[in-house]
Amino acid sequence: MNSNQTFISAPLGKKMALRHFFKHLTILTSSYGFCTLSSRFIHPSLTTLFNNINPKSQPLIPAKFSLPLSHCYTSLSHPSTSTLLSPYLSVRIRCPKDIADVFSEALMCFGASSTTVDEDDNCDTSNEICIESIFPESEDVDVCISLAADSVGLKMIPSYEVKTGEHYDWIKKTQESFDPVEVTEGLWIVPVWKTPPDVKATNIILNPGLAFGTGEHPTTRLCLLLLQRLIIGGERFLDYGTGSGILAIAALKFGASFSVGIDIDPLAITSARHNAALNDIGPENFQLRLVSSNTSSPSADEHKDIQEQTSFEAVAESEHETYDVIVANILLNPLLELADDIVSHARPGAAIGLSGILSEQVPCIIDRYSPLLDNISVSEIDDWACLSDTMVTSYNILSIFAVTHTRTGINVHF
Amino acid sequence: MSTLKEILTRRPVAATIRLTVPAGGARPAPPVGPALGQYRLNLMAFCKDFNARTQKYKPDTPMSVTITAFKDNTFEFTVKSPSVTWYLKKAAGIESGSSRPGHLVATTLSVRHIYEIAKIKQSDPYCQYMSLESICKSIIGTASTMGIKVVKDLD
Repeated sequence: MNSNQTFISAPLGKKMALRHFFKHLTILTSSYGFCTLSSRFIHPSLTTLFNNINPKSQPLIPAKFSLPLSHCYTSLSHPSTSTLLSPYLSVRIRCPKDIADVFSEALMCFGASSTTVDEDDNCDTSNEICIESIFPESEDVDVCISLAADSVGLKMIPSYEVKTGEHYDWIKKTQESFDPVEVTEGLWIVPVWKTPPDVKATNIILNPGLAFGTGEHPTTRLCLLLLQRLIIGGERFLDYGTGSGILAIAALKFGASFSVGIDIDPLAITSARHNAALNDIGPENFQLRLVSSNTSSPSADEHKDIQEQTSFEAVAESEHETYDVIVANILLNPLLELADDIVSHARPGAAIGLSGILSEQVPCIIDRYSPLLDNISVSEIDDWACLSDTMVTSYNILSIFAVTHTRTGINVHF
Repeated sequence: MSTLKEILTRRPVAATIRLTVPAGGARPAPPVGPALGQYRLNLMAFCKDFNARTQKYKPDTPMSVTITAFKDNTFEFTVKSPSVTWYLKKAAGIESGSSRPGHLVATTLSVRHIYEIAKIKQSDPYCQYMSLESICKSIIGTASTMGIKVVKDLD
């Protein structure tokens, strides 16, 4: 296929070994979907992100999956990737140690987006220190540095060098830092390039990507523990704000019959699809939808463009589907604004979990949700809290309890 | 301010990172991404944490964050409220201060505005020991360097 060749020319430039080259050929020939898309739509570093991290696993994407994927990737090539992978200038400045702090503050005032000061342990005799600063591409670096030096009182402009930032450098670096995490006994979250330490346990394989949900964060843990308690078998599950899809995948592993994940970020949807494939979950059990953020959310231009492109997925739920279990692990403000929407997806007597909130924000959420839910219980890890409206509160109850779902409500017997 | 135990168990610091991030809008994109990624810090954890803590601010207010990255890939961060100059510009509705402060007055603000700004600033970690009056005085000082005049009442 012609597309094979175009794909090869893109990322397999300087950095890829020949070994990777052949592995990619096999990946391409087996997953038709990926190859047509990659050649045309994805920015090269994103393909490295999703394909090169683990050369030994082949994403199993059934043929019927590939079509929605292509549409998903079309939207990907537009705004959110462009901000994610937008070029930036990285400047390395040498300046005397004693004014490093003040100088970096001054740089921030005059246009730098970030400054990093390395701690020098090997106290060398030179009293100079390096500040690495990141500027947006449009910024005039010379002017900024001279203004900052002036305001701090430096007699001469410190020496510096400018280079354009490399994208997949930092993307790769963050991914390297993931290790398998044991959320609770018998449940592990394993990055795709590591082997699961306990093969018999429930292992959720993830490629963390750039979407939220690696299993390490307290809120993910709280939600996973909640899911373990709530899911008995056969439920329909809605992951509101799915991120990497970890909660939806976990629900299916615990025994739910059907999972739906929704998110406003196209990168999250891609990441979740990828992770579902890694866990051998097909579209009959797992669906993803990209919704437009018309109520909540900040940065205007990204989301406006997403709204224009939502025509590809059936976002407007014509039949109002109801779910047995819903978990929303987002942030305080979206939870407050979307309260009605979240609860509208629940059938009478469903269980709802809310997280992504700090302990101090709990009263606010309780206020907002008490007219809609009853029996709200709160569990906390560190500073983070998770609310749920089921009866299960503490682990200290050693006696056996049974939770029965009935059409009218959830009954707990102790 | 730190206890003896904290000093003894202090982790070695790898770097100090300063960033300006819009409130509730931290994403793994530049500038957050490259700056934190370099030290292998968990980007998404920072974004989630930062967004949760800045929920009470209006979206897109530029917050200044100082992150201390430790050698074991963990980190701590403090969030400071936006700079006084930013607040003054918002209150006055202008884009930039006057080009010749001291000579040219860009706009005027009433004492009420200053008071409101001072109240927000008081919750900042480094202003907590100052009296409201002294915070107001320093804000008025900043305003005059920008060419903003402060009057008792705006008519």
